[in-house]
Amino acid sequence: MTSIVKISNLEKYFGRLHVLKNISLEVPERQVVCLIGRSGSGKSTLLRCINFLEQPSKGTIEVDGIVVHGGERGRENRQLVHDVRLKTGMVFQEFNLFPHMSVLENVIEGPITVKGMDREKAIKLGEEHLDNVGMLFKRDEYPNRLSGGQKQRVAIARALTMEPRVMLFDEPTSALDPELIGEVLNVMKRVAKEGMTMIVVTHEMGFAREVADRVIVMAEGELIEDARPTDLFSNPKDPRTKALIDRYRSGEQQ
Amino acid sequence: MGIFSGKEQVQKSQAELLYEVQMRKERHFRANVGLSWFILLLILILAFSGQSLTIGSVTFRGIKVDTGFIANNLSFIAGGLGETIRISLMSIALAMILALLAALGRLSTFPPIYALSTFYVSLIRGTPLYLQIFFFFLALPQLGIILPGLIAGVLALGLNYGAYMSEIFRAGLSSVGKGQREAAIALGMTPSQTMRRVVLPQALRFAIPPVGNEFIAMTKDSALVSATGFVHELMWRSTKVGRAQFHNLEALIMAAIFYWGMTMILSYLQSRLETRLAKGDR
Ligand SMILES: Nc1ncnc2c1ncn2[C@@H]1O[C@H](COP(=O)(O)OP(=O)(O)OP(=O)(O)O)[C@@H](O)[C@H]1O
Ligand SMILES: [Mg+2]
Repeated sequence: MTSIVKISNLEKYFGRLHVLKNISLEVPERQVVCLIGRSGSGKSTLLRCINFLEQPSKGTIEVDGIVVHGGERGRENRQLVHDVRLKTGMVFQEFNLFPHMSVLENVIEGPITVKGMDREKAIKLGEEHLDNVGMLFKRDEYPNRLSGGQKQRVAIARALTMEPRVMLFDEPTSALDPELIGEVLNVMKRVAKEGMTMIVVTHEMGFAREVADRVIVMAEGELIEDARPTDLFSNPKDPRTKALIDRYRSGEQQ
Repeated sequence: MGIFSGKEQVQKSQAELLYEVQMRKERHFRANVGLSWFILLLILILAFSGQSLTIGSVTFRGIKVDTGFIANNLSFIAGGLGETIRISLMSIALAMILALLAALGRLSTFPPIYALSTFYVSLIRGTPLYLQIFFFFLALPQLGIILPGLIAGVLALGLNYGAYMSEIFRAGLSSVGKGQREAAIALGMTPSQTMRRVVLPQALRFAIPPVGNEFIAMTKDSALVSATGFVHELMWRSTKVGRAQFHNLEALIMAAIFYWGMTMILSYLQSRLETRLAKGDR
C-alpha cells in the first residue's frame, strides 16, 4: 500500500523550545490513525506541520507524492505548500466556520475561491457533502444558529468538499458538550468507513478503540508508542502510555 | 435536595421581584426624562418667542426673532442641507478607503508601508482640521493647484477623518480571530484571498456602527468648510444671509435646528442599524 503521508526526521522549534524531536511517520492510504498524548506533548504541532499551518524547522513532509523540505522558502516552496494544502483537509477544535457565510456558502467557498470551480457544480458537490454529514437541512442557516455538534459537522463537510486525500482532525470533539460528541464521532466513523485516510488527535478512547487502525502515543515531542488499538490498550509497552491509559480509564468511570 | 428546594424557590421569586422593581424604576425614570426634555424644549421655544412672562415681581423678556426674515430665507438655508449631506457622504467614503489602507498598512511587515501609515496618521492628528481645510483652499493655489471647492473640502475632511477612523478598522481587523485565518489557509486560500473573502468582510461588519458615528460627526464638521466660501452648504448659507441683513441670530438658529434635526434622525437610524446588526450577529 502506498503512503499518503510520509514524515521524515521532522524537527520543530518554537524559538528555543524543542517541540517535535526527529519524528518519522508513514500513514498508508485508507488508514485511520489516532494521536494521543498529554497536553503539551506536541500533537497539534505535528498535525499542523503536515499542512504547514506551522513551518517545520527541519525534515521533510510528503503528502500524496508532493515532497516539501522543512525550513525552505521561496516561490517554489510556496507552490508546493499550496499543493499539499489542497491534498489535506483540516478540522479544528473550535470549528472555525466563517460566521458571515451561510452553511452552504461555507462549504462551497473553498471549491469556488481556491479551485475555481463553477458555482453550480460547487453547490451540487457541497449539498452532497452536507447531506453526508446530515446537515443539508440547515443549508441556508448561519453558523451562530447551529449547535456545536452541528457546526463541527458542517466544518467536516467543508473540508471534505475540497476532496482531500487525507483528513486531519485536531481534537474535534473537545469543545463540545458531552451530549453532542456522539453525532460528530458518528460522522467521523462514516468518513473512515468510506475509506478516507485520517489522522485524529483525540481524547476519545472509545473512538480510538473502535475506529482506529493504529494509535500513536506522543510524549515530549516524540512518538513513544505506535500499535494497533487492542494491543496498545491491553498491553502498553511504555510506562508513560500506561499512565495515560490509566488516566483515561479513571476518567471514563466517573 | 428536598431541604434546599424550598429555599431555592424563595430566592427565585425574590430575584424576579427585584427585577420587576428595577424595571419599574427604569420606566419611571425614562418617563420623567422625556417630560423634562419636553419642558426644556418649551423653555427654549418660549425664550425665542418674544413673549414676556411675569412670575411674581420678576419679568422674563423673551428674545424677539424676526419671523419675516425666517420665512424669507428658510428655503435658501434649507437648500444647503443637500450640499452638507453630499460633502459628508463623499468625505466619509474617502475617509473609509484611507482608514482601511492605513489600518492594513499598520499590519504590514514591510517597513516603508508601515511607516507611511503611521506617518499619515501622526501628521493629520497632529494638526488642526481647520488648518487642513485652509491648506487645501488657500495654500495649494499658491503652488498653482486650484481645486474646485467641493473637491478641496472632501479631500480635507476625508484625509482628516481617515486618520482618525484607521483605529476603527484596525480594531475591526483584529476582531477577526486567528482561527478564521487558519481555516482559510487550510482550505488552500492565498493570503490575499484570505483577506478578501474571510477577514475583510468580518472586519467591515464590525466597523459599520462606529463608522456611522463618524458620519454623524462629519455632518457637523463639514460646517468648517464654509469658512472658505466655496461650498454652499448649510453653514455658509446661514452666515451669508445673516451677515447681509444683520440677522445672524435668526440665521444661526435656523442652521442649528437643521443640524440638530439631521443628527437626531441620523442617530436614530444609526441605533436601528446597530440593533439589527447585533441581532444578525453571526
Ligand atoms: N505558536 C507557538 N509558540 C510557542 N510555543 C508554542 C506554540 N504552539 C505550541 N507551543 C508549545 O509547543 C508545545 C506543544 O504544543 P502543542 O499545542 O502541539 O501540544 P498538544 O499536544 O497539542 O497539547 P494539547 O493537548 O494541550 O492541545 C507546548 O509546550 C506549547 O506551549
Ligand atoms: Mg493541541
